[in-house]
Amino acid sequence: MKKNIFIVSFIFFILILLVFFYLLTIERNPTELPSNLLNKNVPKFEADSLIKKEKFISSEEFGNEIVLVNFFATWCRPCLEEHNYIKRFSNEEKIRIIGINYKDNKKAAINWLSKLGNPYSNIPIDKDGRVAIDWGVYGIPETFVITSKGIIKYRHVGPITEKVYKKINLLIEKIE
Amino acid sequence: MITKKIFITFIFISQLLLSNSYSVEPDEILQNPKQELRARNISKYIRCMVCQNQSIDESDAPLAKDLRILIRNQIKDGKNDEEIYKFLTDRYGDFILLKPAFKLNTLALWLLPFVFVLVGIFIVFFHNKKSKKI
Amino acid sequence: MVPYFGNFALWLSLFFSISQFFISKNNNFKLIKISVNGLLISSLISFFLLMYSHVVSDFSLLNVFQNSHTTKPMLYKISGMWGNHEGSMLLWILVLTIFNYFIFKFYKKNNSKFVSKILETQAFIAIGFILFTIITSNPFERIIPAQENGLGFNPILQDPALAIHPPLLYIGYVGLSAAFSTGVAALKLNDNEKIPWHIYMKPFVITAWTFLTIGIALGSIWAYYELGWGGWWFWDPVENASFMPWLLATALLHSLIIVERKKSLQTWALLLSILAFLLSVIGTFLVRSGILTSVHTFALDPSRGIYILLFTAVLGIYALMLFRKKSQKYFDNNYFAFFSKEGSILVNNVLMVVVCATVFLGTIYPLLIEALTSNKISVGEPFYNSTVIPIIVPAILVMGVGPLLSWTKEDKLKIFKKIFPSILFTGIMTILIFLFYQSYSAIGITGIILAFWIISNNLLMIFKKSRNYSTSMIISHLGVGLLILGITGSSVWQIEKITKMQIEDQIKIEKYTIVFEKIDEIKGANYVALQGNFLVYDEEKNVITKLKPQKRFYPITNNFTTEASIHTNLLRDLYIVLGDGNLKDGWVVKFYYNPLVVWIWIGALVIFFGGIISINNNLNKLRTLT
Repeated sequence: MKKNIFIVSFIFFILILLVFFYLLTIERNPTELPSNLLNKNVPKFEADSLIKKEKFISSEEFGNEIVLVNFFATWCRPCLEEHNYIKRFSNEEKIRIIGINYKDNKKAAINWLSKLGNPYSNIPIDKDGRVAIDWGVYGIPETFVITSKGIIKYRHVGPITEKVYKKINLLIEKIE
Repeated sequence: MITKKIFITFIFISQLLLSNSYSVEPDEILQNPKQELRARNISKYIRCMVCQNQSIDESDAPLAKDLRILIRNQIKDGKNDEEIYKFLTDRYGDFILLKPAFKLNTLALWLLPFVFVLVGIFIVFFHNKKSKKI
Repeated sequence: MVPYFGNFALWLSLFFSISQFFISKNNNFKLIKISVNGLLISSLISFFLLMYSHVVSDFSLLNVFQNSHTTKPMLYKISGMWGNHEGSMLLWILVLTIFNYFIFKFYKKNNSKFVSKILETQAFIAIGFILFTIITSNPFERIIPAQENGLGFNPILQDPALAIHPPLLYIGYVGLSAAFSTGVAALKLNDNEKIPWHIYMKPFVITAWTFLTIGIALGSIWAYYELGWGGWWFWDPVENASFMPWLLATALLHSLIIVERKKSLQTWALLLSILAFLLSVIGTFLVRSGILTSVHTFALDPSRGIYILLFTAVLGIYALMLFRKKSQKYFDNNYFAFFSKEGSILVNNVLMVVVCATVFLGTIYPLLIEALTSNKISVGEPFYNSTVIPIIVPAILVMGVGPLLSWTKEDKLKIFKKIFPSILFTGIMTILIFLFYQSYSAIGITGIILAFWIISNNLLMIFKKSRNYSTSMIISHLGVGLLILGITGSSVWQIEKITKMQIEDQIKIEKYTIVFEKIDEIKGANYVALQGNFLVYDEEKNVITKLKPQKRFYPITNNFTTEASIHTNLLRDLYIVLGDGNLKDGWVVKFYYNPLVVWIWIGALVIFFGGIISINNNLNKLRTLT
């Protein structure tokens, strides 16, 4: 009886150590959260557009081709750091990118984009952050990959790095 | 060196951003005290996504404030607690719940403490009975 | 120059720990003495050389560069040396070698084999930690070229309570390592060798438990005063990592009493001694491996994690297999009555272990789920409150009456007669408190009853003046009662008011009127601050105090912090935090009225004090024995 208890607890001990070992050796970021919207439809929303006169209507913008969605703001330092990669997505990879302007100042955003280059096909304004909440955004910049059917396939939190840039390109080739 | 880097970042960002907040701000508080109490209680169970181990009720991060206001709006709209929790977990996943949900994958979490207590009681009585015979 | 010597001393301590390991197998007194002393001296040298480098701001050292700055106040230059991962390892090693030295002090002709076995295991542990430091976390690593100045040090860590918190905790963890080594040595004995191993283990357990208590308490005190939202315990994984060994140390402490008295429960105590230290090492793993993030985590380096994990595996598998094989000779089936001192200690033990298992479950569960399903979930305060509190309540009830019971079975009526005065006193105090605070809640009632149950039973023992009651036990248990009082009062009857104020506005909280006098700009040693001045008046319009909460900016590290301003007395804390705002729109201010909060700290201190008395008694006993 005592023997069995011992063997069971010992196995648990080893299992827990194995779980820890596994978690240490795989690639993971303890602070990053997988999106709860993966493989779900893009949230429906309408918003004013930063540059265009017409309103941004999500049902018109998604569901036609592969699209990237990038939440950004002028006051966000990492957004500045990743901007080149966003431009590369647009210029080199020819992917359409929608930039959602999060809790920003309209004038500042327009200036920022004219100075740094505007890679976005359209820029809905998320003045109070409600759109971001609907997308499960918690730390900008965040970038989403949307399939041609309007399904969210991938979300990256934080600035795009070389590694992430490659990863997203590979992913897009796969879904194509 | 990487000590508390994330914590520092959170304080830094929260202080630097335009719309600053300081946990429940006076202008968030609902008129109806019952509703306000509900909002506080729900907020205590919702995790601040950009903090370390704080609820949105305690945190002064901007996202926490947005969620607090959102919860209060939903209460005013007549939503019940389950609907509000579902709204949040649909968008942020179960991670946002500080009190783990009662689901299949948390069954072990909620049941095991009871099991531990039962095992403890069992061991005490079993040992006692066995030794009494001697 | 200095860093080279420091590094050399570190390698030297590795050498001595290895030599101690092999020499203690042969039980050669002279050589063991050289190893033990060599180990102590070399670790002292490396420790103080790193400290020296921090004090003189030697920025050729990576460790000093990453964690210090010329403008850092001297106290924090010194304590900052152990406030980072690499430096803290040197502190760990130093405390390890000090305890190693005290183990060696036990060495006598008649116990030499046993003590050298303890030293053997302790040496192995030392090798593990020193090797870890040298390979993955060497504090004497250089930065080339040497820098002009450093990166500074997180301002919220620049606090006296936090400065002393690591050394105290490490005394706790290392004390448990000594208990572990003693347990392993006891298991390794041959069947015919009879050594009262518990006499050797007890002083280490008492020391470890006492310092874990004060170490944890100081961490909470720091959080309360420094973090600015009045909380002091968050069930953060790393807080749990210190709480779990404390729980097992408490259980071990109490079970050693039974081992002493009746020579029973020996296998159980030996198992606890192994598990307590294993949990300390697992706690080290959780903090330093990067597997979790937490306000407390030091390093984000998986290679460190893998090393510690392997070390845990080796220690754990070896010790548990040894236990399995050789604990049989200590096994007994002695009967004990349930309604006796022995019975209540057993209940305490079981409940402490159950709480520990529950906290462990909650802490690692998110990791398990992540590994198995790639989902992330949170296990936060609500989980622990719903599970731990109901389990602790019976433990506290038993703790009240346990010490009053006799060792053998007792008549239930006799027991009732003994405790009747405390039941009465508890009831009266509960009613009085509720009349005073005018607020009724189940948690509040439970907390007050538990607190006064403990306090009254211990007062009873003081008045009985019987020599049977250990002074240190009464004091520590009394401390627990005060602690519960503080926790209950501050959680249940807290009043919070958040409001926007202009200069000269006032607010009423409880019986106090608080006036917002003015805003100042303040310059500190390494910060600038905005300070709010608040005058607090009582009912008779007398000024009680002036509270000055601040919002600070530390330019070197680019940090903002909030400093709460607190006025404390025995009945309540008045706690003010300054939010954001400006002269035009006014400022957001948060006011807390926290009843009885100071009793949490007083209670913890009293528990600590009881532990100190017990350490002293133990040392006296040892001197007369040896």
